[in-house]
Amino acid sequence: MVSILKEEIGGIELLRSMLLIRTFEEALLRQRDHGFQLLSSGEEAVAVGVCAALAPDDQLLVGGRSIGPALARGLDPGFVMAELLGKSAGPCRGKGGRGHLAQLSAGFFGAHAVVGGNIAIAAGVALAAQLQGRSALVACVFGDGACGSGVLHETLNLSALWKLPLVFICDNNQFAASTPRSEALAPLQLSDLARPFGIVGMTVDGMDVIAVRDAALAFANRARSGYGPSFLECVSHRFASHSTSTRETRGTDELAEIRKLCPIRRLAERLQSSGALSAAALGSLQSEVDEIVTQAVRFAAAAPYPDKSEALIDVV
Amino acid sequence: MIYKLTVPGPIEDVEEVRVLEWHGAAGRRFAPGELIVELETHKAIVEVRAGQPGVLRRILCGPGDWQALGAPLALLSDDAGERLPDTMDELASWPVDFEIV
Amino acid sequence: MLSEAAPPTVKLFFREAITRALREEMRRDARVILLGQDVGSYGGSYKEFVGLYQEFGPTRVRNTPVAEAAMIGLGVGAAAAGMRPLVSITYMDFLMLGLDPLVNYAAKARYKTGGQILAPVVVKTTAGAKGQGVAHSQCIEAWLMGVPGLKVVAPSTPADAYGMLKSALRESGPVVFIDHKRLFPTAGEVPVSEETVSIGKAIIRRRGRHVTIVTHSYMTRVAQEAADLVAAEGIACEIVDLRTLAPLDMATICDSLARTGALVTLEEGQLACGVGAEVAFRARERLGTLRVTRIGPLEAPVSSNPVLERACLPDAERVAHSIRRTLAA
Repeated sequence: MVSILKEEIGGIELLRSMLLIRTFEEALLRQRDHGFQLLSSGEEAVAVGVCAALAPDDQLLVGGRSIGPALARGLDPGFVMAELLGKSAGPCRGKGGRGHLAQLSAGFFGAHAVVGGNIAIAAGVALAAQLQGRSALVACVFGDGACGSGVLHETLNLSALWKLPLVFICDNNQFAASTPRSEALAPLQLSDLARPFGIVGMTVDGMDVIAVRDAALAFANRARSGYGPSFLECVSHRFASHSTSTRETRGTDELAEIRKLCPIRRLAERLQSSGALSAAALGSLQSEVDEIVTQAVRFAAAAPYPDKSEALIDVV
Repeated sequence: MIYKLTVPGPIEDVEEVRVLEWHGAAGRRFAPGELIVELETHKAIVEVRAGQPGVLRRILCGPGDWQALGAPLALLSDDAGERLPDTMDELASWPVDFEIV
Repeated sequence: MLSEAAPPTVKLFFREAITRALREEMRRDARVILLGQDVGSYGGSYKEFVGLYQEFGPTRVRNTPVAEAAMIGLGVGAAAAGMRPLVSITYMDFLMLGLDPLVNYAAKARYKTGGQILAPVVVKTTAGAKGQGVAHSQCIEAWLMGVPGLKVVAPSTPADAYGMLKSALRESGPVVFIDHKRLFPTAGEVPVSEETVSIGKAIIRRRGRHVTIVTHSYMTRVAQEAADLVAAEGIACEIVDLRTLAPLDMATICDSLARTGALVTLEEGQLACGVGAEVAFRARERLGTLRVTRIGPLEAPVSSNPVLERACLPDAERVAHSIRRTLAA
């Protein structure tokens, strides 16, 4: 009984976290100059499920789809919004934007906008943790688009050889911009990519935040116990096109079917049917999140842009 | 007869060596084939072995000293009692075999 | 007037200067680690790492497979997380395979994160043609000079290799340390006491009033040979050994040019967008019109063929010829 209760409380936290991401991104898109963005909508369960397995000391690295992971990791939404809009109040002083969003103190080593470019970096961060004798682990999220990249395979090899405390998270939303997975990658199951290196792999439903969390926890424990790296593939669906500048390639019917798989609705329904969440509670959860996002937008809108002299600061 | 033992060569890519270790002191007699000195190049060790019998008389370059290819490292003689000259001009080179390891 | 005795020195092979710098820094700072191919018990392709594996063990001295993108990526990531790695890329030609983590991450980490992440990684690599063929001969340092956030050094002597490698390992950002195949057979005096050599300062190797030769790495030795040749004809060359390519020490260069009025640049890398092009243009910007000649290799890949390799590369005769022509003009 106790563990189910914990699960339900945990479940509400997961729901709030996913709601925050969804609501935040909707507000972001309402900003007139929202800039070039990659949205996590539809993929919230991957970000939230993975972060639920991380301790404060761990580090999370991601690719360009950084908004969901940043918020799930606990970064202040006002600061995130400021960074996305190029304001100097952002954690990167407005100089990283979405593609390089980072806040080390929050365990968010951050985003790097080069596809696959953060994978070997993440292994280096894991190597440092190992050398420093810390039990911290490193999680690195990348998309199916990065799975054809040589550096992924080089890093799988080295991290297996050196038993690095690294969890590879493949957020397989089944498209690399316009290219479907089946046209880009020979393996049907991307977690099989880890197999030749002796790395344990698992594929889970990336629209099920509980499944993602439980798998991530298991792999995090492996890393903390010194068993080395693991590879978690989360099969997901993005609700929007690849980016705010990319044309949608899926038809309206297909998109309607995909929306039915919404991870937020799925968890809400599960919690409601188990009695852990009432309709009223869900409503006030949404209001809470709405208020947080409103404050974030207000904070970011009022924050100043950097002075142009910032262009020459922190170059070398 | 008095001889000078010079840094053997040619050795590809090498202009100077550093003496690593002498395998005998002044007075020691060497038989052909015996290791007399080891020299260091930038990438390998050169083992210098006696090419004929002789007595090591005076070490000119000790361990850690540098010397150019063809330049003298030591004086040797056929017999232990031979008087050493004041200059090294016109001394014959003492035959050696050398191997790069 | 009291004159100080010159500080005591010891003559070392070029490779020993590198080993010594690394050993001292690894003893001094537990964060310094070494990653690369053949760096373990083998001691490095040029024996430049001999003894380090034995002293510091397999945790701090790690052999890697042939995987330059991951080697540099791991080094950069470890640096960003508090270590001080040296990544050895045996041939500079293969630095190209690791340019993404070096240029897109390491050089930009501090900037893109608003100062949160520093990446103090040293990428050490060996450039230069020495009979190993078109893909094992390149000098591509000029490609790196225009990367904001990246420091690039290229010592020409064991003393500078020693002192600058120590400095590089203490920097707060990424440094590419470039040595040269033809420098490994050389030897030189190195201070007995532990000393660093500053990054960012060129050095005048030879004083002369007729022409300034600006050069770096192995070509510094070729410049000296050429200067010896023309000295017999009464031409006195001043040689500025850049030592650091980014940032360029224009103050030392311009100070020399103010005295000589003529500039000859000499490099083994291609002249197009090369080191000499940058030095010459910056010198002109500061000093106005100037007699300038750039000397470099032929515009061709450098084959392992001994006849063709020799034909491609600048040598003392060719440099001397260029000096005479520059001064005759």
